[in-house]
Amino acid sequence: MNMTQDLSFLHLIQNASVLVQLVMGLLLLVSLLSWWYIFLKMFAVRLAVKQSGEFEEAFWESPDIGKLYQAINAKQDQAGSMERIFAAGVTEFVKLKKKSGIESRAIMDGTRRAMRAACQREMDNLESHLSFLATVGSVSPYVGLFGTVWGIMNAFRGLSNVGQATLAHVAPGIAEALVATAMGLFAAIPAVVAYNRYAHDITRLSSRFESFMEEFSNVLQRQP
Amino acid sequence: MNSTLAHPYSEPYRLPAGALALGVHAAFFALIYFGISWRAEPPQGMVVDIWESLPQAEVTPAKAAPPPVEQVEPAKPVELPKPVETPKSAEPEQPATPIKADIELAEKKKPKIKPAEIKKDVEAKKLAQKKLEAEQAARAEQAAREERAAREEQAAQAERERERERARAEQAAAIGKVVDEHKARIIAKIRRNIVMPPDVPDSARAEFEVTLLPGGSVLSAKLARPSGRDAYDSAVERAIFKAQPLPLPADVALFNKFRELRLKFSPKE
Repeated sequence: MNMTQDLSFLHLIQNASVLVQLVMGLLLLVSLLSWWYIFLKMFAVRLAVKQSGEFEEAFWESPDIGKLYQAINAKQDQAGSMERIFAAGVTEFVKLKKKSGIESRAIMDGTRRAMRAACQREMDNLESHLSFLATVGSVSPYVGLFGTVWGIMNAFRGLSNVGQATLAHVAPGIAEALVATAMGLFAAIPAVVAYNRYAHDITRLSSRFESFMEEFSNVLQRQP
Repeated sequence: MNSTLAHPYSEPYRLPAGALALGVHAAFFALIYFGISWRAEPPQGMVVDIWESLPQAEVTPAKAAPPPVEQVEPAKPVELPKPVETPKSAEPEQPATPIKADIELAEKKKPKIKPAEIKKDVEAKKLAQKKLEAEQAARAEQAAREERAAREEQAAQAERERERERARAEQAAAIGKVVDEHKARIIAKIRRNIVMPPDVPDSARAEFEVTLLPGGSVLSAKLARPSGRDAYDSAVERAIFKAQPLPLPADVALFNKFRELRLKFSPKE
């Protein structure tokens, strides 16, 4: 009847071997981090989509580039990704325009390069930590499995010392070990789901940025 | 431009995201904690399996429990008067003497004032007597009480034992009934399956030792006493195996009574 005491969740963790405990600790840390990134990315992507939509609306409604540029500069770090791409393009365009003796084609090339660089930076920022989620999603089940296999190995090794083998001798050990797999899966499943979701969202944002860049260069080219 | 680009990458939602992550984990651990502690209870339920082998013990306390109560109740009213009697014989005397003494004292007081000392002595003696009497009464009472308690206990124990024996006997009788009934059923079922060979005298009697398995299948059937007619013996043996599964009582605990059966068969009956 020891089983009733041993199967409490905290007992399972306490009685696990050191290595299994280490694996559980690692998985707990990884899971905490991945959930933190999941929520961080959720807020960041949502904000980026919202800001891009707002900026596109504002851009197509008022053709006054100078006003928009000043508004963005006034916003400082509150500016959204698309606004920063726009600002980078405008800055480069104005700089090149001021220099005399540059062909309009060279000006447009320079402006597009500047915008592409800004876009790359934005994408890099949005995609940061996504690789962490992907790694957690693919690796933590294996880490959990490792802890489980180790725990079960120990359980069976303990069984060999007992003359009469019953399920009661192995059950607590296996239950302990399986906690590691449970934790690994708990870390992995949301990480995989979140990775796929955010990767898709960010790809859509990136294509939106690119089409905006093309359209904006057309607008700049028409500029006197 | 660089100044505008350096800051914006600081994520604004660090704290809420961290709090949400912690919340998710707290919820998950609460789920696991309560889930597993809930699952840890079933092993206690397995204790029931141990009781399964002691259905007799379970019945006897149920039957034996009420009678002691009944016995204790009638025993008290019968024996209670006794203790009341002894104190009564001692107590009424006590109040009677002081009253008399008081009256005497009052009478003495009126004519003379001197006898006050004598009164005191008398009073002291009376007090001492009272004390002695009270002590004796108390002792007697205690002894009576102890005796009573002992008697009650003995009576209760005897009654309990009697009850238990009765319950045991009843149970044994009940079990015997069930066993007999099922033996009869087994024999009847086998008899139905006998294909009677021709020319078997009514006096033929075959005895078989049949070993059963739980569930009613036949492990072995040995001819313990041949009837003298080989045809009849083999017909009965075939019938025993044909009659599988043999009817057994629903109570698994009774199977031990059916593990090895000695069955008698004769063509007439």
